[in-house]
Amino acid sequence: MLSPARNRLTIPLLLLASTAAPVFWALPEDLPPLRSLGIILGWAGCGMLFGSLLLMLRETWLSHWLGGLAGMYRWHHRAGVIAYVVLLAHPLALAADSLPAFPDLAWQTLSPFANGWAVRLGWLSLLLLMFGLAATFASRIPYRIWRWLHAALGIGVVLGLGHLLQLGIDEPVLPLLALAVLLLAWRFIRDDAGLAARPYIVRSATPIADGVVEISLRPLAQPIAADAGQFVLVAFHSGAGFRGCGQFHPFTISSIAGDGEIRIGVKALGDCTRHLQSIATGVPARVHGAFGHFLAGRPTTAQLWLAGGIGVTPFVALLRGGPLHQPTTLIYLYRSETDAAYLRELQTLAATDRLLSLHAHATGEEPPDLASLLPASHDLSNRECHVCGPPAMVAAVRKALCQRGITARHIHFENFDFR
Amino acid sequence: MRRLYVYATGVFWLLVTTVAIVGHGVPEPTGHPPASERLIPLAELARHARPDDCWMAIRGAVHDLGAYLPEHPSQPSVVVPWCGREATEAYESKGRGRPHSPHADELLTRYRIGRLAGEQP
Repeated sequence: MLSPARNRLTIPLLLLASTAAPVFWALPEDLPPLRSLGIILGWAGCGMLFGSLLLMLRETWLSHWLGGLAGMYRWHHRAGVIAYVVLLAHPLALAADSLPAFPDLAWQTLSPFANGWAVRLGWLSLLLLMFGLAATFASRIPYRIWRWLHAALGIGVVLGLGHLLQLGIDEPVLPLLALAVLLLAWRFIRDDAGLAARPYIVRSATPIADGVVEISLRPLAQPIAADAGQFVLVAFHSGAGFRGCGQFHPFTISSIAGDGEIRIGVKALGDCTRHLQSIATGVPARVHGAFGHFLAGRPTTAQLWLAGGIGVTPFVALLRGGPLHQPTTLIYLYRSETDAAYLRELQTLAATDRLLSLHAHATGEEPPDLASLLPASHDLSNRECHVCGPPAMVAAVRKALCQRGITARHIHFENFDFR
Repeated sequence: MRRLYVYATGVFWLLVTTVAIVGHGVPEPTGHPPASERLIPLAELARHARPDDCWMAIRGAVHDLGAYLPEHPSQPSVVVPWCGREATEAYESKGRGRPHSPHADELLTRYRIGRLAGEQP
């Protein structure tokens, strides 16, 4: 397990290196300042896009090395947007170089009509990045459509390299083009097509609350290596009278058996997960992972766990794995008792494990009143806080804990939103 | 990040539109050489064959490209060998046999210093 400081710094340093390397290679000499700036911005954006491409890969070893898939995706998004902004500034700086003396030349530098394919490909690349990012931010688009629109960004990167080739810059660009195609193919074949995933079959599916089903998956080959608190990417395929959606979605493991069988909690949050509520025994699936280290490396000090809705699943997985070794308070928030997955089981576990204190609260449709639900500051000192639930709830709890004097390194959370 | 995307995209299109309006407002140069243009013989052209003193004859006109050379996107090894020479063929078939763009033609006129002796204007 990486230290938290190394976790935080690994990805930014990687992005810094991928940005600085091409800039260093192409650093202009004896050129006017704005033209130099334009060239530097172009190479910096290109390098940062490559860093972003690397961060889209879903490999367990890579996610372990880079501090987790959630962090990789957070930086994948940040790097992509920053690279886009830098690349927008690239042609503007080049045009600005000649704008004061030759305004017509400045426009001809920008115009896709006055130039050859070098500039046209640059424009096509920028427009695809613009379109792909607009689609990325459109959260209402169904996921099955959204993922293909998001792929336009990959085509934009390849066209951007075509722009450089047309300028006659072959030397570092051909290897970069090969690397971009390799990374895109890697992502598509290993992750989206499921080559990196292991075959499983649905052994049972049990409704455990309104709109929540617990699916048990039996391995058909070597099982994945997983710990409580981790999540897996699972694609359900068609079979046994069930038409699977075939897309990989993240699900938290709720139980790990000795024979490799895993259980996952599936809440109906979108088209695919809604359809999964009626899944049948015998449906084939592919499981990729496991990822994340949400509950890994916990110290022996007292714990505060705060779960919202289906976010209780990693805590259930840990409690099912055996008795606790440290005093733990679990605050479980849900809309109503019919929505509360695992509630009865948690009450039974709390009755038998003297170190577990369960506080279950039905919050209704209103946001939870954290001021009254969270322990007072003096009860929180020296506690490790783990938070899992909807992003808005996690953000509100983090803020409330900080206001109670809990430092960021004692607050642990994971974000499963990979859009 | 969404806000950064929206602002950056908006500012980008605003600036592109501004440059287009300003650029279109300037009358295009005629490209016709002045009648009293200097005639430069091949021997004189050949004396300017260094990267910092680079003349090239292209389509009968001689251009002093010493100041522009550092800005050329290609590697110096591609362009510098044509300094001090008649370079029309290289100009017309850059890279993989493609001619330079109209933008490059326009840029070239700004560096014109004379006419190659023996060539028709």
